[in-house]
Amino acid sequence: MAMRQTPLTCSGHTRPVVDLAFSGITPYGYFLISACKDGKPMLRQGDTGDWIGTFLGHKGAVWGATLNKDATKAATAAADFTAKVWDAVSGDELMTLAHKHIVKSVDFTQDSNYLLTGGQDKLLRIYDLNKPEAEPKEISGHTSGIKKALWCSEDQQILSADDKTVRLWDHATMTEVKSLNFNMSVSSMEYIPEGEMLVITYGRSIAFHSAVSLDPIKSFEAPATINSASLHPEKEFLVAGGEDFKLYKYDYNSGEELESYKGHFGPIHCVRFSPDGELYASGSEDGTLRLWQTVVGKTYGLWKCVLPEDSGELAKPKISFPETAEEELEEIASENSDSIYSSTPEVKA
Amino acid sequence: MQTPLTIPVPVLRLPRGPDGLSRGFAPDGRRAPLKPEVPEIPESQESRESQEQRARAALRERYLRSLLAMVGRQVSFTLHEGVHVTAHFGATDLDVANFYVSQLQTPIGVQAEALLRCSDIISYTFKP
Repeated sequence: MAMRQTPLTCSGHTRPVVDLAFSGITPYGYFLISACKDGKPMLRQGDTGDWIGTFLGHKGAVWGATLNKDATKAATAAADFTAKVWDAVSGDELMTLAHKHIVKSVDFTQDSNYLLTGGQDKLLRIYDLNKPEAEPKEISGHTSGIKKALWCSEDQQILSADDKTVRLWDHATMTEVKSLNFNMSVSSMEYIPEGEMLVITYGRSIAFHSAVSLDPIKSFEAPATINSASLHPEKEFLVAGGEDFKLYKYDYNSGEELESYKGHFGPIHCVRFSPDGELYASGSEDGTLRLWQTVVGKTYGLWKCVLPEDSGELAKPKISFPETAEEELEEIASENSDSIYSSTPEVKA
Repeated sequence: MQTPLTIPVPVLRLPRGPDGLSRGFAPDGRRAPLKPEVPEIPESQESRESQEQRARAALRERYLRSLLAMVGRQVSFTLHEGVHVTAHFGATDLDVANFYVSQLQTPIGVQAEALLRCSDIISYTFKP
């Protein structure tokens, strides 16, 4: 009796979810932040998707959101020309950093002392969070709006992506070290510290590059335009989602497509694995976040696997006639699945 | 297309959604406050917290009972921009984010069944 993936839908946003990020693993578990065009980024418990709080203050769509490693601080990038830093425990706004155009990306250093921002004004900015009044350091060079800016190589270097290029900068000298050019629009970029790798998505391609040399490692082609991809912490699989509303799971080593999941009602804008690799979250144009199990059927978070050997409930079908067994299974299945399926219409209320 | 019989992975419950009105970050949530707070004598803090908790539980119970009492009754809703509507109350969802109503009398006609978004409701009143 095979198990079917039950995605957990996190509702609450009223507009498309355009970015999401997990924190590291903290003594309180791990957390998830979602950036939404409704201007109200939300913090959720990472393993259950339970809403914790909403960061209120932005006056425009929030395009980027991130958490620091221990989930004590959050940062958001918005269309109101500001990036904001928040206390992720109390939800209070700590800092508003004014920019000259829409801010698209924010990233903390490992020690949470500096914040990197990038946006439509084509400048990378580095803010010292211990000196909020001080002017940020600026790095120019991009010729089109920056979509993503990330610290890498133990915060010694900076990676930034605009529409057609990915550039590597040295932090200390603030100069460009290397760049990559693309014929198609780069839709996303994710940095993997263990192994110093980059995942870049453009068109239907999911490409892996070295974060140090920018040299290509390998790439996969998906059946549809991909907007975001994420590599499992153990580098065994990757997940990707895009314009056909589906999530694809690939074996990283062989490139084989392992699974595809329908569920979202709109294009998928962002996909991320949790820091423990047990689940991945997807954010969509349909305004929802969904949590998906990496190993379908495993007991984790809100997913509770009931095995025939363990439970008295499901043990019965084994000794009864096949027809009854299926009926009983259907009954038990429908008990569990009713509440899930009935929740989806509410999203459009 | 024949697919083998699969059962969906059972879940304990669905993820909890936003509170509707509050911005969250409950101080008594899963994370203990990491900001330093003035520590009080443990015993009195304990009883003050549990008193507050009991009061909150009692208020919550009263509210939930009020919702139960509303089922099937005619309720008048005051919405934004001075709009008033009446309807028969049916149910609320888990997070009290939406009210399922029937025979919703609106300025432009009667809607047999509707979902009222609680964030649109300023107040409501009914006679039990």
